[in-house]
Amino acid sequence: MSDAPSVQLVQTRLAAFLRDAAGLDVTITGAQPLAGGASRDMWRIDAVIDGQPERLVLRRDLPTQMIDSALSREHEFALMTAAFAAGIRVARPRWLCADPSILGGAFFLMDYADGIAIGRKVVSLPDLADARRVLPAQLAEQLARIHALDVRPFGFLPAPPPGNSPAQAAVDQTWALLEGLNAVTPTFAFCLRWAAERAPSPARVTLIHGDFRIGNVMVDAAGLTAIADWEFAHLGDPAEELGYLCMRDWRFGVGHLRMGGISPREPFLQAYEAACGYSVDRAAVDWWEIFGNIRWAAVCLGQAARHLGGQDRSVELASLGRRSAEMQLEALNGIEKMGL
Amino acid sequence: MLDRPTLSELIEAAREHIEIGVIPAVKGDGKLYFQTLVALNVLKIAEREIALRPAHQRAAWARLNALLGGESPPPADHDAWEPAIAVRSADLTRAIRDGAYDAPQARRALFDHLRATAVEALEIANPKLLDSLKTEPPGQ
Repeated sequence: MSDAPSVQLVQTRLAAFLRDAAGLDVTITGAQPLAGGASRDMWRIDAVIDGQPERLVLRRDLPTQMIDSALSREHEFALMTAAFAAGIRVARPRWLCADPSILGGAFFLMDYADGIAIGRKVVSLPDLADARRVLPAQLAEQLARIHALDVRPFGFLPAPPPGNSPAQAAVDQTWALLEGLNAVTPTFAFCLRWAAERAPSPARVTLIHGDFRIGNVMVDAAGLTAIADWEFAHLGDPAEELGYLCMRDWRFGVGHLRMGGISPREPFLQAYEAACGYSVDRAAVDWWEIFGNIRWAAVCLGQAARHLGGQDRSVELASLGRRSAEMQLEALNGIEKMGL
Repeated sequence: MLDRPTLSELIEAAREHIEIGVIPAVKGDGKLYFQTLVALNVLKIAEREIALRPAHQRAAWARLNALLGGESPPPADHDAWEPAIAVRSADLTRAIRDGAYDAPQARRALFDHLRATAVEALEIANPKLLDSLKTEPPGQ
């Protein structure tokens, strides 16, 4: 990528930042770009800090943002810090730099977490068979903790407009996204009208991680090591997060195991209920899974529009436009199952 | 039939990528390898679209006749089919938003059209997914 700083630049500027801002004696011994998302740049950083060897990850903004409602690095850092303090399995956030002039975008450093995030490996690697046995309970327990986190310090979290339920707000946002793309087809019109008619009322409104799925959790042979990618955190209905996790696209080819291609859904929901002490409305979870597919189908078109509009010429983004039909069919099949 | 990018845009994207990215690149670059696989898949999609589109257009026209009423034949000029289907789909979108398909029977007829449309799109974009859905054990 043309806007990526060189390894040498990262090493020297990062060391200078840590010396100046944190007063640390720092030598950066390694800096290597990691395969990352479309809107964030990730680096593995090895350093010796005050005489101690440290393995770190640097998470940096790129000039283009994928979704405007995503948290800034400062807000993500603040939320991850609170999550870490509450015992949630998240890489420990270490240092934040909001000044974009240092590395070309705001960034923070966190501890390196061992494990694999790549979804198709998590659902299929023989070495992770034991991890897959414990993951349903681990994910359920972690979600219960996330949904119990005190959000009062985090006024920056996106929330449904006053008077709107999270479900109704999400339907309205998706209409707006599609209208903006000039992409309201008969399928989207039908699906969104159906979703609006059936929109569930939440029993409670809590912190929602916002992208909690296989592919965004680090897993080693013993199970979950870290929950990544907090930038889409918001306030919403816990059923949203449960339904989202069960979407077909996050099953990575193991389609019949609804919880992330790893386990049936029901034992996972029961583990979640046991961990959080609230009962879960299965119909609401069904609705959010269906709605998740509608929204992901719309976002696929939005990603393709980044290519088509010239902001981000990329064959990957272009091809996402044609993936939309996968989620559209999944949404329609879910609607039929729930009742037209 | 309103899927974006269009066929020519997909081919253009793959060609741009191969020209700009692949040719000067060295082998063994994991990210570039992945992107090239994507480009290859895009070209396969384009090939399937070229092969399947006429049949899909005829089927879509017949379904839209049944849904919107009337027996109008498709335009004489085949190049005018896609824009004509787009116009009728936009009519259908408005009718859906106006509640014209809210009654159970109309809703069912609409649903069958929408699913057929999605299945046709996947026959072009991802026929392997359609095959795997046929053989998948019941979801739990």
